[in-house]
Order: sequence, then structure tokens, then C-alpha cells
Amino acid sequence: MSEGMIVCVAVVGHQNNPLYIQSFTKGDDSLKLHHIVHCSLDVVDERANNPKKSGLITNETFLGLLNPTENYKVYGYLTNTKVKFILVSTDLEVRDVDARVFFGRFHTAYIDAVSNPFHIPGKKITSRKFAERVSTMVKSFGLSSGG
Amino acid sequence: MPGKLKSKWIGPYTIVGIRTNGAVEIQGSAPNFVPFLVNGHRVKVYRDNSELTEVTIDSTSKLNEDLLQVSLSAFAFLFSELVQYNQIQVDNIAELERRLEDAGYAVGARVLELLCHREKGNRRETRLLGILSFIHSTVWKVLFGKVADSLEKGTEHEDEYMISEKELLVNRFISIPKDMGAFNCGAFVAGIVRGVLDNAGFPAVVTAHFVPVDGHHRPRTTILIKFAEEVLQREARLG
Repeated sequence: MSEGMIVCVAVVGHQNNPLYIQSFTKGDDSLKLHHIVHCSLDVVDERANNPKKSGLITNETFLGLLNPTENYKVYGYLTNTKVKFILVSTDLEVRDVDARVFFGRFHTAYIDAVSNPFHIPGKKITSRKFAERVSTMVKSFGLSSGG
Repeated sequence: MPGKLKSKWIGPYTIVGIRTNGAVEIQGSAPNFVPFLVNGHRVKVYRDNSELTEVTIDSTSKLNEDLLQVSLSAFAFLFSELVQYNQIQVDNIAELERRLEDAGYAVGARVLELLCHREKGNRRETRLLGILSFIHSTVWKVLFGKVADSLEKGTEHEDEYMISEKELLVNRFISIPKDMGAFNCGAFVAGIVRGVLDNAGFPAVVTAHFVPVDGHHRPRTTILIKFAEEVLQREARLG
């Protein structure tokens, strides 16, 4: 069974402006990951704005698997303020349930970061605590789904 | 009542001072004149018809586990400081209202994110009535401890809705001097509502007004919400 590895997480604002993007690979392919995140934003927009065509429930937060490319699985999550969370993983056996749980915790960390009165909404999240929490969550995600 | 049915609260006491760390100085009625300090979490507001802020102490000193609550007196103190701080920086009432509203807007944006995550259903509201009833019940309950008194649709204009409150919490300890006329500290709450609506995708202009009520000498506060054109068009499209 392959190791569950999250390679990238991103938070994108409602005008598709990046608020937080962090890659967890050792290699230098962060640009490629940014590109993947950017492409998946289109899928998110399509799911959010055209519910009738794709037949999904309109206001669920977890959007599920967005587009399975050759090596990566991309999951999306839409909060009620139209802020999007994108998760890119190399593990081909990541289950939906794990991704949902991860996004739940990620949402909590995001809310804590945004509740900071010194954080300006619309600007990048610069909190170190948020970055640390995200790193911890990413590490524990790998362990729980690999076992 | 004896035993376990006995009320765990003693009081009422009168607040004579507030400390910055959340402790309150309270004093019983005569003959004990010496005020003593108590943790702000252990007191709750005593509601009767008098104007003073009276509190009762929880003698079992059990903290409220699930939701952290801010003591009313600490909030009233902070809010009055906020208003005074802005007051010395501006020359006119309109500017003061705008500043309070901006402060409220920041709160509203964060409250929306937080509440939707806490709610079990966690669905994004896309309908106008949905978001309005969310504000009227959930937001009001979390911020002020009760649902708003009423939610009405305006009769003259299609795009106006009103949330009314007999005694807005932020206005409770504030009296407006006569020369400030129509100024309403509810502008802070109007800002909160606007923050929630704007970030949920329903842009609107929100203002707070005093509405005199027959039979009561204190006027009711109404939050007037006027939605932007695009919201009504979208609502009509959704059917």
C-alpha cells in the first residue's frame, strides 16, 4: 500500500486570489503544484455556479474529487464565504472520508487564523501558528491513511 | 427548596467596578459596604425591571464548559471605550457611525465563517430568506444570547427588510445626548449584519434606526437592510 502523501494545500479567496499556498514535497516542483491548484479552481467554480448541470447538491461544503490527473488527486472544499480549500495528494488510495476529516480540521485552523483581528481579510495569511498547525495535520494525515 | 433543587445562585449584588482581566468588583446591599472581587465568569446578569446592572454569583463556581461567554459588564465597558475612542477622532456624527459600522463589519465577516463551521449542517445559504433567518436566529443567539425580536419585510420597497429589537444589547448602557440627535450605537450591529451579508454573497446597505413605540419611553431599534439590485435579480432567477 503506498504512503499517503499530501504534497500541497492551498487556500484561495472568493475572487480566486491566493491566501495561503504551501507545498510539502522535497523536490522543486512547487510551480507545477501551483499550476495544478490553479486549474482545479475552474472545476470548483463550475461546481459552485452550475449546480443543475452537474446534478449535485448545491450547498455542500465538501466538493470531493475534482480532477484525477495521472499522479495526483485533487480535492476541493468550499466554505460559505466562497473561500476555497484545495488539497493535492499523491496517494492514489486516499479515501473520501479521510479528505473530509482533514478539511474539517483545516477549516477550524483557518477560522482561528482569520479571527485574528490583525489579519486583513483578502490578504495572505501570515500567521506562523497556522503554518505549524497545517504541517502537523499534513504529517498525521499521511500516517492515518497509510495504516 | 432543599437539596439538589435549590438554586445555586446567590445575590443580587451591584457592580461597582470592572478590572481589565475580567474580574468584577461587587458589593452587596447594606450593611456590608466593602466591595469584593470575583471572577467575571462566575457572575451572571440579574434581570429585573430596575436600571442598575445587578449580578448574581454562582456559588458552585462551575464554568460554562461548551461555549465561552464574555461577561456583559466587560463587554459594555469595552464597547463604551470603543465609542469614546472613535468619538474624539471625528468631527461629525455620520463619520462616527461609519467607523462603528466598519468595526462591526470586521466582526460580521468572522462570525459568519465561524458559525457556519460550528453548525452541524454547514450548508451555504443561497436564498435571501435563508440568510435573513440565519442572521435573525443563529447569529443573534450567539452574539446576544437570544433571537432577534422580529424580522419583517418592508411594505414600500421590494428590497427592504427590517430586524427589530426592543432593547439592543449594545445600546443598553448608553444614553444619547440630545445634541447628537439621531445617532445610534446600533450602527455597530448594523455593521455586523452587513459583514455577514456581504461575505455570504448578498451585498446590502444596512443602517440602524430608532423607532418610537407607543407606551414605552425608550424607542425600539430597527436594523434596516436594503439589498443591492443584483441580489434581487438573482433571487428572481432562482425562482
